[in-house]
Amino acid sequence: MTNRLMYLEVKNLAKYFDSDYPIIKDLSFSIKKGEIISFLGESGSGKTTFLKCIAGLEKINSGSISLNSVCLNDKETFINPQDRKIGFVFQDYPLFPHLNLKDNITFNLSKKHSSNLDYILKLTSLKYLLNRYPHELSGGEQQRACIARALIREPELLLLDEPFSNLDTTIKESMREEIYKIIKETKTTTVLVTHDINDAMNISDRILIFKAGILQQYDDPVKMYCEPANCYCAEILGDLNKLFVNQETYYVRPEKVKLVNKKSNYKVFVEKCFFQGKEYKIKGRKDNEVWHFFSKEPLKEKADVYVDFGKKDLIYFDPVCKNFFK
Amino acid sequence: MEIRKHYFFIDNKRWVFSSLFLALILLSPIIILIISFFSGSKTTLFYLLDNVLIDYTLNTIYLILITSIFALILGVFPAWIISNYYFFGRKFFDIVLYLPLAIPSYIMGFTYIDILSYTGPIQSYLRDTSPYLAEIFNKDYLQIEVLGVLLGLALYPYVYTASRISFSLIGSNYVNISKNLGLSSFQTFYKVIIPLSRPAIFSGLFLVIMEVLNEYGAVKYFGVNTYTTGIFRSWFSFGDVNGAIQLACILLIIVLFFFVLDKLSIKNSKFYYQKNSEVQRMKLINWKKSLFMSSICSVPFLFGFLVPFFFILNNSIQTLSSTNFDKLIQLTGNTVYVSSISSVIIIFVALFFLFVERISKTKINFFTNNLISLGYALPGAIIGLGIILLFSKFSLVGSLFILIFAYIIRFLAVAKSPIKSSLDKHPNTIDDTGRNLGLNPLSLLRRLHLPINRFALISAFIVTFIDIMKELPITLILRPFNFDTLATQTYEFAVEEMIPLSATYSLVIITLGSLMLLILKNFIDKQINVS
Repeated sequence: MTNRLMYLEVKNLAKYFDSDYPIIKDLSFSIKKGEIISFLGESGSGKTTFLKCIAGLEKINSGSISLNSVCLNDKETFINPQDRKIGFVFQDYPLFPHLNLKDNITFNLSKKHSSNLDYILKLTSLKYLLNRYPHELSGGEQQRACIARALIREPELLLLDEPFSNLDTTIKESMREEIYKIIKETKTTTVLVTHDINDAMNISDRILIFKAGILQQYDDPVKMYCEPANCYCAEILGDLNKLFVNQETYYVRPEKVKLVNKKSNYKVFVEKCFFQGKEYKIKGRKDNEVWHFFSKEPLKEKADVYVDFGKKDLIYFDPVCKNFFK
Repeated sequence: MEIRKHYFFIDNKRWVFSSLFLALILLSPIIILIISFFSGSKTTLFYLLDNVLIDYTLNTIYLILITSIFALILGVFPAWIISNYYFFGRKFFDIVLYLPLAIPSYIMGFTYIDILSYTGPIQSYLRDTSPYLAEIFNKDYLQIEVLGVLLGLALYPYVYTASRISFSLIGSNYVNISKNLGLSSFQTFYKVIIPLSRPAIFSGLFLVIMEVLNEYGAVKYFGVNTYTTGIFRSWFSFGDVNGAIQLACILLIIVLFFFVLDKLSIKNSKFYYQKNSEVQRMKLINWKKSLFMSSICSVPFLFGFLVPFFFILNNSIQTLSSTNFDKLIQLTGNTVYVSSISSVIIIFVALFFLFVERISKTKINFFTNNLISLGYALPGAIIGLGIILLFSKFSLVGSLFILIFAYIIRFLAVAKSPIKSSLDKHPNTIDDTGRNLGLNPLSLLRRLHLPINRFALISAFIVTFIDIMKELPITLILRPFNFDTLATQTYEFAVEEMIPLSATYSLVIITLGSLMLLILKNFIDKQINVS
């Protein structure tokens, strides 16, 4: 039985090319309509394969995928990719080289969706580039063209495979904002695959962390950052400071560490002070462990300072966690 | 982990099975040949072993060796020079060094023997000017060594083309690093460039070897006994089909050996270097070096194209009055007709196989694609014999259909090569995007791969057309009754010792071939973007 509240439902999905080395071992999660979720994992962890399974470009080995209460792939069913109403934006922006921008966007487009052209062009700011060929477009323009091509068909689900990985840092942020705006305006349910934590944090309603073929945590960005399920999730989302209390190991996020003027229990030796515009990022050492925290004022290097934090900000993991993810 | 069998099925089943069925049809003449080998009497085989086999084997190996050495020398050095240096006539040589491909090796053989003969221009001139030198030159030139050199001149463009593309794709980073590590230009060439280009050079050399094994016209004319001439002799002169089958199967084993060697060589030395990491900048050189390099490049062009071309042109003018133009037009029409139809069918069959391999991603398709490529390595005599054995019961032998079928088997690999290179340039995400946008496999082929790969399809058409136009053994064996082509007519005049009369027909082959090669060169330049 599919859950009617959930839009995309993935249950016990397994995928492998070689049965000894499964890429996806057992993956279950669901998405609500209109949500943007980020699928976060390391390079080569099987993120693109996962998207291809959803799009029908790869067949799954077990489990099921259903979209809008319609089963796309399970033991008995396989709906062809061309019949799934899923938009896919690939990592390398594969625009067809023999067609200009307009023909690329309207490629194999039904009459029903042709009227969306003006709206999509306006949304993606591509109106004046229609006659250009792919090689005459910048990376950002190619990417927007791919998104326009996917969105013009009003897909029930949009899949974005590392859409920002080929862009430089300056254009990346603006593109991220633009895409977020476009997706939210069209109310398109979206799965974004990325290995960049900033992309995931900035654009997603929920983040799914994937490692070793299984789901590690699936939550909203704030909860995930503050309450990571395990040490892998904690580390992938940002710096952690390690400390020992009563022979137990705890972690605290740099943002939660506050500089104090008076003496406290936590003395840190300042090694380096990095100017970051709004504030300074401090790299220090405590009990031989590297620590990071922030300061509004520059701190003197090679000197001790005192810091403090709330007890509720401490994060605890099982000691075997580290070994598990090695 | 539970593996459920229901989840497994082959992608695009209909396409996969159609391609396997077609592959089986294309391989059937070879399968029949092998079956006939095992079912036939072995008495002839022992006779062959005792009498001719050692002679055939040694001659074939010796001929391959001489041809390969000359093809390597004439192909690799000019390719390196043209890829690296600015010198007088560089652009001209870059175009014309391909042209010997337009001259079939049997025409090269007939022409040079005519030039070097007692009544030819060289000996006639020497007799008038220097009788002593004339005595020295008065020799029998119908020798295997001379044939080897001439085949080297006719076939070096295979090595040249492969090396030229490889050298231009390597980029300058490796050259710069090597020089930075203290290697001289020559050391860089043989320690870095040659090893990096080894797969390409070997692929070119493989084609040369296969052409030598396939050669019939020139080898027969020179009276050198090789496997191919042996098959023809057993079959036509002695009427011993069983002997021909056994010789064909032994040749098949030799071909398979080289085929596997080529695949292994490519597999073992395939380097995934960054292509065009930085385009190699041409070096400016002084006029002495420039002259030296022009001389090196002019040798293969002069002897591989210019001398035979002008000699044939001169013969054509001399025999103009006795030329039957109606026949010439008719044979040109026949040649263009059969070459065009066959080439169009071949490029579509090649595209079909490659497309199915691409969309199915099954190992069986990869394997059959390699297996059907074997056809190019098979001498025409083997294919011809296999087809006659296969179709003799259906009274189809002697029809145009059978001739075209044989061309498909023989030249499918020629058409596949440029199409495969072009398909490989486009990432799989192009197909994925097409499918995601609602295309089924047929529309994917029609709406994406046909337009995207159109230049490669045209290139494939040109190379296949030239090869079919020059083809001799298959056409001789399988042509319909009273159906002649320019190639068969040239051969018939030559074996009847009427070489001047064959000149006009040779000239049309060479002119048509040269024009198509020049168009092809233009396409290659666009594709590799060389300076």
